Amino acid sequence: MSLYLVSLDSFGHVDFWLGVGIVAGIYSIFTLGLQLNVGFTGIVNLGQAGFMAIGAYAMAILILTYGWSPWLALPAATLVAMLAGALVAIPSVRLRGDYLAIATIAFAEIVQSTAQNALGLTGGNNGLLGFDAWWQTIQVSMLGLLNLIGLGTQDQIPLFLLVWITFLVLMLILLALQHTPWGRVLRAIREDEDAAAALGKNAYAYKIQSLALAAAIGAIAGYLLALNITIIYPGTYSADFTFIGFAILVLGGLGRYAGVALGSILLWFVLEAARFIDLPLPGDKVAAIRLLVVGLVLIFVMVLRPQGLLGRRQEMVLRG
Amino acid sequence: MADPIFAVRDLAKSFGGLQAVDGATFEVERGSITALIGPNGAGKTTLFNLVTGFIKPDRGHIEFDGRSVFGRPPHVVARQGMLRTFQITKALAAMTVIDNMMLAAPDQPGERLLGLATRPFTWRRQERAIHARAIDLLERFQLSRLATAYAGTLSGGQRKLLEFARLLMARPRIVLLDEPLAGVNPVLGRQILDHMHELRTKSGITFLFIEHDMEVVMNNADRVVVMAFGRVIATGLPSEVRRDRLVIDAYLGAHGEDVA
Repeated sequence: MSLYLVSLDSFGHVDFWLGVGIVAGIYSIFTLGLQLNVGFTGIVNLGQAGFMAIGAYAMAILILTYGWSPWLALPAATLVAMLAGALVAIPSVRLRGDYLAIATIAFAEIVQSTAQNALGLTGGNNGLLGFDAWWQTIQVSMLGLLNLIGLGTQDQIPLFLLVWITFLVLMLILLALQHTPWGRVLRAIREDEDAAAALGKNAYAYKIQSLALAAAIGAIAGYLLALNITIIYPGTYSADFTFIGFAILVLGGLGRYAGVALGSILLWFVLEAARFIDLPLPGDKVAAIRLLVVGLVLIFVMVLRPQGLLGRRQEMVLRG
Repeated sequence: MADPIFAVRDLAKSFGGLQAVDGATFEVERGSITALIGPNGAGKTTLFNLVTGFIKPDRGHIEFDGRSVFGRPPHVVARQGMLRTFQITKALAAMTVIDNMMLAAPDQPGERLLGLATRPFTWRRQERAIHARAIDLLERFQLSRLATAYAGTLSGGQRKLLEFARLLMARPRIVLLDEPLAGVNPVLGRQILDHMHELRTKSGITFLFIEHDMEVVMNNADRVVVMAFGRVIATGLPSEVRRDRLVIDAYLGAHGEDVA
């Protein structure tokens, strides 16, 4: 056969696509937080990877160093991330637009540098291992149950289920919040902060809450990412994560929580399917071509549906 | 003045070298319709921004119903019952008309996460009451058939009415209108003025409005406050200020030796 063909050998492998589904799900959860900030509050949070890192590290450190039960460590780590979100928000959320974006990205860089250099706490670039014994136990019992219906050999199914159930639960909570008076104030702030303030709404307090909640969601994505790759090290939580999150956000549509899942699945399907482009080129070049293909898909979607897959065109136009 | 609801004393604000408001002092009588007039650049809109907390004043006193609101943030001022509009209407474009209205209700515990969690029945009940009140107001302003439309799809005039109706949802005691008639056709302008008179009579709401059309001011205001160069140069009945020498000078340019 010609070298220039797409080889479909592993295209049909269930475990491969389960793996892609897990990653797509983790990114979906991660981007739910961005959607809350960007799509519903109108604040540009470029530090989401930092909150994800803080959550994951806090969870692992509480379990490994302090011997906490994971059932205490998980909520505690989520609170730590929320606190970090509030702390970042308090001085920076008054900044408008671009400045807030810069402040949050700087925060994420600080988190990453800290993770790389605070060796005693984070293990530096060696990362942290062995925080997930509890999950291994759960996984084994889940696989035992799956065995009863003949799916016991697919050992990625438990995490796949955990990720997507988590996504659904979080999405339903966020959707419910969106339909409350609280969500209405948030949207008003997105539309026009001064108008909201003139009607007695404390925009500042709502932005802090929005960022703290997004940080909590980021932390949850961080736990799942840590379970997926079974190690926590700084490189996993680089700013790239946030930028891919933004690509997903635009792809799925601003102001639509379900769009986040659709955007993530599309992006990761294209990115992973592009692996099978079999070109007579060195590996790094092929990797670059994969991203190129994703870029083309993004452009294509934006031309056809500038509001994103599920976005509302009228809202986009009205917002100018 | 017998019973001022609102008093500004020696209020000042400079932007760099420009003294936008320069020791302004005046009072607004409770239940009155007061016009704030003055040539372009007199500091009228800056004064609105100062008293409603959108800009921090350099010095002075602002008293609203016996309490100082000097330097308080906008949402605090609004919650005390001082509501304002902006020169360029601020319709929340990508929200529906009814959401615009319901947003402004001041008494909704469901606007706080704690309230949502601890008072799930109260906020829902309150939401129904707020919805009913919003529909009622929209009907009065002939906007009810647009309730589910995005506010951004409304015409300029409809937006002015929406902004007016929305502000009433917040149960104001004093309303500050920044050029409510600018860019509005005469029919709609008449409608807005009628609403103003009716609300003053029936609900006792005090109005302070910026206006350039002298005929509108003379025919609708009980009292007039005249600003020029950041200062209040005259206050009084419309018939008084129109004869005031300083006012005539400010509008037509000073003549002779008496520069304002």
